Amino acid sequence: MAENILVIGGGPAGLHAAIELAELGVNVSLVERDTFFGGNPKKFKYKYLFPDLQPADNVIGELVKRAESNNNIKKYLSANIESFKEDGKKFNAVIKSSAGSETKTFDSVIVATGFEHFDPAKDSKYSYQLFDDVIDIKDLERMMGEGNFTRPSNGKPPKNVAIILCVGSRDRHVGNQYCSRVCCTVSVKQAIELREHFPETEVYIFYMDIRTYGFYEDLYWEAMEEHDVQIVKGRVAEITSGPDNTVICKGEDTLLRGPFEIPFDMVVLASGMEGGPQSPEMAEKLGIELDEHGFLKQANVTLSPFKSNKDGIFLAGACTGPKAIADAIVEGGAAAMKAYIYAKKNS
Amino acid sequence: MAEEHNKNSERPVAEKGEHIIARHLVDDDAIKEEKNLVIDGVDVSGRWNTFIVTRVDSEFDRSFFDEIQKTVVGSRINRCWQCGMCTASCTVTPLYRRFNPRAFIYMMQLGNLKQLKKYIDVAWRCVGCYKCSQRCPKQVNPAEMMEALALLIKRYFPEEIKSKHQLKIDEEVKAIYEGMILGHGRLDLANLHTSAMRKMGKTTELLSDKDERGAIFKMMKDGRALSVLRLGKPHKWHKSKDAIDNYLKHTGTLEQEGMI
Ligand SMILES: Cc1cc2nc3c(=O)[nH]c(=O)nc-3n(C[C@H](O)[C@H](O)[C@H](O)COP(=O)(O)OP(=O)(O)OC[C@H]3O[C@@H](n4cnc5c(N)ncnc54)[C@H](O)[C@@H]3O)c2cc1C
Ligand code: SF4
Ligand code: SF4
Ligand code: SF4
Repeated sequence: MAENILVIGGGPAGLHAAIELAELGVNVSLVERDTFFGGNPKKFKYKYLFPDLQPADNVIGELVKRAESNNNIKKYLSANIESFKEDGKKFNAVIKSSAGSETKTFDSVIVATGFEHFDPAKDSKYSYQLFDDVIDIKDLERMMGEGNFTRPSNGKPPKNVAIILCVGSRDRHVGNQYCSRVCCTVSVKQAIELREHFPETEVYIFYMDIRTYGFYEDLYWEAMEEHDVQIVKGRVAEITSGPDNTVICKGEDTLLRGPFEIPFDMVVLASGMEGGPQSPEMAEKLGIELDEHGFLKQANVTLSPFKSNKDGIFLAGACTGPKAIADAIVEGGAAAMKAYIYAKKNS
Repeated sequence: MAEEHNKNSERPVAEKGEHIIARHLVDDDAIKEEKNLVIDGVDVSGRWNTFIVTRVDSEFDRSFFDEIQKTVVGSRINRCWQCGMCTASCTVTPLYRRFNPRAFIYMMQLGNLKQLKKYIDVAWRCVGCYKCSQRCPKQVNPAEMMEALALLIKRYFPEEIKSKHQLKIDEEVKAIYEGMILGHGRLDLANLHTSAMRKMGKTTELLSDKDERGAIFKMMKDGRALSVLRLGKPHKWHKSKDAIDNYLKHTGTLEQEGMI
């Protein structure tokens, strides 16, 4: 008899895990709380992905298509895990969806519930939601996905744009000390897209460090050298309203050792990634641990990053910390392999 | 500079801004004082009308960036990410701390002429050793960026240059410059600098100025002078030279519109 494996979360990590398992002949139950699969990239309509600016549909659309066309995957949308119990080496779960509640027994479980964007409204210094022209990277991602690059306040092309890095990350004040890893690369990508769309628009990035790690560095060089994106060293400490419908970014230029108060037409906050409410929820329901950053805890960060601290429950993607889609997909595959081995041994 | 100013100016009432705590942190230019001042009917003459002009930068002026980027020497201004390797390797910085190629490039990127103006007295100190350009990880070519800087300063602060240093580019200096370019394919700014000083009749100053003389000795001792002199001719220079000679034969001049 085929193994039964539960995958919770239908983002890049969960989709890839489900597809791999299904191809091995496993009966997969894929549980997604939203009305669609594809995770955050789908929800916020990412259009072009870093690092190579390929259409997001190449990746996300493709994963969704493969999962949807595979009959070994039972899909549950608008669904959640109502209850969860261990039963020896197996797990009993009640899946609640629009079709009603269903009780099933699983040999192993993969958690791929991903992340939530940091909500910049929680940090009042950035005046998010106070001024129309202060948006964040997920808003801009969605706007650009809809073909709109203009100022929210008046629909006109912005004369200048400030991108502010590390919003909601690396800041004890908001409770997140970690680096969100992708926001630098997303920001230089968006800077390039803005410059390509509006060549007259000046784009400035306010940074403390630019962490476009590995080959993502190429995009950073490209932003400066081919698109004249200007980097300015210093974190913006306050955003206020300025003359002529502008917003003023106040900060210190730490290289010149002097304060600046520069009016901008549009400000984009590079808000980071958080474990969201789903991480503690999963920890509690499944009896696994949460780490000190609010993400799900890995059994061993180096040796077995795709294992939870409970046998038979595996982790994949951004639910264990900020990462890019490629990493989420790799982990989906790794967790699938581990979940499969566990199921084989115990069924 | 501040000391000099206070010594020379006649100020019977008070030293400029003397009531300011940490006075040394405030530039002379930034202090505004009136003998008699009435604000909203209140007489604030005397020590109460000392004002410090705001130091906040309220604009990035990209027109300078564009202007510099269009020049041959400054075309790579967009590349600089402010790592400071140029300054760290610079021949001049250890002697004149205020000569900081990295910072100058940043000021040029942001069009911060207000800051640049403070450095007119040292900004021309580059000796053209190209060590910075050899080290720069982004191949900005900071050595030539210093030439772009000189052009910028010449253009935007002609008065200040004249009043501070009585520098004037005359035909003779131009001849030295061209001789250098045509003879060696490279600009030896140290040589240009001394030749220009000589032309201006400042030979004694060159050797008597404590800073200048000290610098020369120090550079000889630690080998930097040698590394400056070691710069050879560009690869296969004779070919380029033939081309330039040929060009000169036809046009009679090296100068061309927009070819800086
Ligand atoms: C603005 C921005 C732009 C980005 N652009 C790029 C890019 O260009 N290239 C790139 O490589 N990476 C990019 N990333 C990173 C990328 O978004 C993540 O790597 C990726 O989404 C992680 O995939 P995931 O499947 O782990 O999580 P998610 O995408 O978050 O998916 C998790 C899924 O689980 C579901 N879920 C959550 N809780 C539950 C629950 N309790 N029950 C059931 N289902 C649940 C969610 O609804 C969601 O569908 C970007 C990130 C940001 C913030
Ligand atoms: S990736 Fe960049 S913007 Fe994001 S938290 Fe890290 S340093 Fe800050
Ligand atoms: S010019 Fe080059 S070496 Fe100097 S700060 Fe810029 S990138 Fe660094
Ligand atoms: S070329 Fe000029 S700026 Fe560069 S290291 Fe030499 S003296 Fe310094």
